Amino acid sequence: MSYSLRGTLIRSLLKVVTPLWLVACALLAFHAWHEVNELYEEQQTLFARQLYGTLPTLGARNEPQLPQVGDSDHQAVAAWNRGGQLLLVDSDGLELDARPGYTGFASLRQHDEDWRVYYLSGEAGSVAVAQEMSERWEMIGGLLLTQGLLWLLLLPFALLALWWAVGRGLAPLAHIREQLQQRAPDDATPLPREVPSELHTLIDAMNDLIERVAQTLQRERRFTADAAHELRSPLAAMRVQAEVAQLVQDPALRERALQQLMNGVDRSSHLLAQLLALSRVEAAEQQHEALDWPLLLQELGEAVSGLAASHHVTLQLPPAGHTQWPLQHGDRTLLLLMLRNLLDNAIRYGGGTVSLEADATRICVSDEGEGVAEVLLDKVRERFYRPPGQQQTGSGLGLSIVERIAALHGLQLSLHNREGGGLQAVLSRSHG
Amino acid sequence: MRVLIIEDDELIGDGLQAGLSALGFACDWLRDGKQGLAGIGAAPYDAVVLDLGLPGMDGLAVLAAWRRSGRSEPVLLLTARDAVDDRIRGLDSGADDYLVKPFALGEVAARLRALVRRRSGQSTPLLQHGRVSFDPAARRATLDGAAVELSARELALLELLLGNKGRVLRREQIEEKLYDWAHEVESNAIEVHVHHLRKKLGSDFIKTRRGIGYTLGDEA
Repeated sequence: MSYSLRGTLIRSLLKVVTPLWLVACALLAFHAWHEVNELYEEQQTLFARQLYGTLPTLGARNEPQLPQVGDSDHQAVAAWNRGGQLLLVDSDGLELDARPGYTGFASLRQHDEDWRVYYLSGEAGSVAVAQEMSERWEMIGGLLLTQGLLWLLLLPFALLALWWAVGRGLAPLAHIREQLQQRAPDDATPLPREVPSELHTLIDAMNDLIERVAQTLQRERRFTADAAHELRSPLAAMRVQAEVAQLVQDPALRERALQQLMNGVDRSSHLLAQLLALSRVEAAEQQHEALDWPLLLQELGEAVSGLAASHHVTLQLPPAGHTQWPLQHGDRTLLLLMLRNLLDNAIRYGGGTVSLEADATRICVSDEGEGVAEVLLDKVRERFYRPPGQQQTGSGLGLSIVERIAALHGLQLSLHNREGGGLQAVLSRSHG
Repeated sequence: MRVLIIEDDELIGDGLQAGLSALGFACDWLRDGKQGLAGIGAAPYDAVVLDLGLPGMDGLAVLAAWRRSGRSEPVLLLTARDAVDDRIRGLDSGADDYLVKPFALGEVAARLRALVRRRSGQSTPLLQHGRVSFDPAARRATLDGAAVELSARELALLELLLGNKGRVLRREQIEEKLYDWAHEVESNAIEVHVHHLRKKLGSDFIKTRRGIGYTLGDEA
């Protein structure tokens, strides 16, 4: 799933901050309402007291109605004497009832207007100070409006800052992208860790990958170089023999050179076949199928019997009914190639009686040849290595193929010289 | 011209021996480094063809050991590796020339002839004495400009004598230069070859120093 870091950050900012801001506004409104009421009501109380103080002087007047002054001031006052007679009124359209003897607040609604009234009664009479509620709502509204405007004004700046910060934070990534684009495929230098610490794990993982890829590449390159060199020798041999065939006059010598040329072709073909087998094994998408060992044994016998006969080797394979094998599942083609290579080696380089034995944990291929010098037991497993003085042709790849296929099947190859003489190759289940 | 080949690859070694023999060289072939180390003293070799990747003892080690012990035979290295470093190491170890596999047989022969020529201080590829001239590369001899039909051994003997003007060569020396181990030398073979050369190139062409050996006659 692809998504933008900026978009995500902005969305989550809006998602989190907007409700928080709304809650803050509600709290503010609630608090402001409380404060405004308190303030205004204090004013009313104060005003009522002052008015009450003027009651004795009001008695002489007979014009209770105060003159109108301009617009409505959203206030109304009234004063009554002890007898309940109206002494003074600035009603502003409000009809205030006398409530003799009552001191305290009252709410009332007239002509679609809410009013808050404070009555103060005493010996001298009573006064009422009323105030329109809309006055207070306007004040709260103004406050909230300011708050909202502030939010709307600040929001773009906050988003811009976020946009910029994300860009700045991700700039090292753009730098790394550029580096990756310009990088040669086989460049093994690690990427710089000059990125935000949150990205270190990513860079480390990439560096790890680069390192592994470089190692694989190097191994492949060395293998290709080795393979090319290995092909040079049979090519040189064929070229020399072909030239000899052209050069010599004696038909017997020419016949011999041509025969040698054929040997060279066979040798190259074998080397190429082994190289191809190895590259296939390296790339193999292994089949995992139930193994039909009797059939496998039969094919194996057919594959090596010719070679065994030409080398005067007696071949001993397990009987067709043998059931004890370390593997019941695997890739039959690869396993056949593996066992064939082992038997080929035993026949070519060993001799005598070549036997294949198996039980539930291992497969052994033994011969009765001269074995391999102890110091060379590890070396013969290296690619293209051929022991000195080896007269039999070979590619030096057989054991590499065997090892690779064995590893694919959880088997491990070990080589040792037998006590009675000869070499034994053992494929056993690897532990762990 | 007698050449020692040290090469472990059966097919290459066999081909070199057969091919160089057909080109007029007397060749011996050894298959591993340790044999080669001692083998160089077994006969008066004019040059050595040495493979680098040898069992038993590496070609470069063999070469270095020869040079340390004062052996100065010209050496032509053969190798499957063509990295510059390998070439430098080879030449620095005392090799005189270098060929990378796969090589042409004709080039091996030409380089061997050039090595031997350089060693004897001779600059022209054509050998001459009086009315006789010999082209070692073409294996062709002429008398007064006319081609003379000679057998391979006779050509080899002619080449040997022309390469050793003014020197008397003993019969055993000539045998060693003309015959490799694979070929049995009959007791009077050299006398027969000398006789044939005199018949074809003139009786004064080769002089016999009684009890010592043979040398070229005066340039007429």
